[in-house]
Parts: sequence; C-alpha cells; structure tokens
Amino acid sequence: MTEAPSQSGVRLSRRGIEQLDLLLLTAEALDLNGGEAMLWTSHQLGLQDRFPNRVELWKRRCHNPLRRITRRDPLDPADAESLIALVCAMADRLYPMLHQLLSTREPEQLTQQRWELLRERLGDLIEERMNLRRSAVLHLLDPATNAPTHHRLVSTLALVAGPGGINRLRAFLLDPTP
Amino acid sequence: MLKTVHRYEQTAARLVVEGYPDLSDGQEGDTIGILSAWRLQLVGAPELEGTRDHLEAMMAAVMPYARHQLSGIGARFGTNQSFVGIEAVGGKHQLQLRSSREGVKPLQLLLDDADLADLVRCLDRLRLDEKVKLQWTYPEDRPLARKELVERIPLLRRLGPAALGGLLLSFSAAMALLLPLPPRPGTATSVDVNEPGSRIINETK
Repeated sequence: MTEAPSQSGVRLSRRGIEQLDLLLLTAEALDLNGGEAMLWTSHQLGLQDRFPNRVELWKRRCHNPLRRITRRDPLDPADAESLIALVCAMADRLYPMLHQLLSTREPEQLTQQRWELLRERLGDLIEERMNLRRSAVLHLLDPATNAPTHHRLVSTLALVAGPGGINRLRAFLLDPTP
Repeated sequence: MLKTVHRYEQTAARLVVEGYPDLSDGQEGDTIGILSAWRLQLVGAPELEGTRDHLEAMMAAVMPYARHQLSGIGARFGTNQSFVGIEAVGGKHQLQLRSSREGVKPLQLLLDDADLADLVRCLDRLRLDEKVKLQWTYPEDRPLARKELVERIPLLRRLGPAALGGLLLSFSAAMALLLPLPPRPGTATSVDVNEPGSRIINETK
C-alpha cells in the first residue's frame, strides 16, 4: 500500500495540476465507483484530515484550469503532495486493469473493446466536468486525436503505481512546459 | 548461515534475490546485506540471472528510463559497454543484456508497456524493501530540463509557428509595399466624385 506523503509538498505549475487531475479522472474512468474509491483510498493513506469528504477532494481538484468550475488561487503544496500519493495508490489498486490495457499478449479484440470503454467513460467525465470552450479539452474529446493521450495517461498510471512511483510522478509533474 | 530468499512478483515478472545478512554491519535474520544471486523471470523470455553488478546495472538503466518515459522521452539508458541497456524501439522497449563471459552474444528482449511496468514495479519493491540493505546507484528522480523536453517535439511542430509567423510578417510587409502612399502635403490632387461633370481641385498652400 502506498504510504501517506512524508514530504512537505511541491508547488505545481498549471500544467502539473492539469496532468494530476487528468490522471485522477482516468482512474475514475477505470473504476465505476471511482469517486468513493478515491475517498476510501485517501482515508487508507491517513489523509482524512485533508480530504474528509468528496467535496473537499473536489475543491482541491478544481485548481485544474481546464475545469468547468475552477479556482484561481494556487494549489497548496501539501495538497499537491497528498494528491500525488492518492494517484499512486489508486494506480496501485487499478494495476491489473492498467496491465490488461497495456499488454500486447491480451486478445486484440478484447483490448480494443476495453480501450473503447475507457474512451467512452473518460469522454463522459471530461464533458461533465471540464470547460468545453477550452481547446485543450476539445482536443481530449476529439476521437481522431485523443487515442495517444489516453494511452499516455494509462501508461503513466502503470509506471507510477505503488509507493515507488511517488517520486517519479512528482518529478514528472514538475517538468517545465516545453 | 542460512541463505535468505526474497521474491517480488508482479503479473508477468518475478524477481528473486538471494543473499545473507552482513553480520559485520550488525544485520541478522532475513535481512540481505550480501547479495549472492538474483533471477528475473519475464513471461515469454528466458530466465535471467547474474551477480550484484548485473542487478545494479539493471536498476541504473531501467529506473531513469521509466522516469523519462513518463515525460515521453525514449532515449537509451546504459552504454554499449554496460551490462544492461534499454531504449525505445518501435513503440516497445528493448532491453539489452550483456554477459560478463567472453564470446556470449548480448541478449535482446522486447518488452511492451505492461512488461516494462511489471519490471519497474519489481525493482521498486526491491529498492524499497527494508530487509534488503543494499545501496543502489541510479540518478534521483528529477524534473527534466526544458531542452530535453523540447527535443521530443518534432522539428516541424517546434518550428512551425515561428515559420508561419515569419511568413505572415513577410506577406504583410509585401502587401504594405504594394499599397499607394497617401498624398504628400503641399501637392495638388484631384478627387473624383460620383456626380457626372463635377470635379474638385484641392490645392494646399
């Protein structure tokens, strides 16, 4: 099990917050009961003081500038660290599904159907929660161009799953915008 | 002294390390301070085994590679002379293992994303296992430099906006040169009006 964050936290850029929220959204798309699972996992990590309920968790995620309802103030570094730990713990829980999606040994037709289901669910969540006037959001919804983005999100979750992925994910989220 | 064995399993990968506690360092029980052997089983690939140097080389190549993969960079890690090298090849990950024995050809394994994730998870568990007291040498996970990230963007996409901007600027300049200049003050100009037969002479002094 991924442990609660020990670091004081990092100040994430706008791009970092976008990626973090998208990874959480992908985890939700993979898990039908994702919202509850996320809260339960955060409590397992000992983050109940930071995220006592779904509303508090949602408020932290609203720092994503692509959201329909967005908060302009910067994300607290301790909150960012908690969300990073949460992504890694969720990826750990969902790892068998991530593996199935990424494995080339799975039957091709079955893999395609799994990807299609993920695309559908992720698309629904994006339409429901993101600002559809933003070009980045429209790009995520465009079926002609979003497949590599979905693949990147799933493989990112697979590579940061578990406690060993926390430092990797933090470093990735702190990458400068090219 | 009894040999201690630790196993790290993940879907399609199994890493087994064997060793002994380093009594001179005060270690005891099932702690491994001296690594005697390790084996790695990946589904669809021959079993790999080696010494501590080989395992260290694998850790030093695979961990930074995984970090760079997150940022979309598939550069090679591990030199041609090192025991382990890994690089992105055609959407997969080619793991190259060089034997320390003379005359043995390097072994090349092609891993998909799921295999790579399994391998990374096994190595993560090993390096975080408190019962394995070994020092691993690999670069710390850090944000990448802007230069590294820019290089992954295709040249056309990187230079496209600048080229388009330059082209538009040149076009605007060319159009501006073709437009007639406004009359200079102090010159007589005639202005045609719509009424037939009428003509206005504008003289400025």
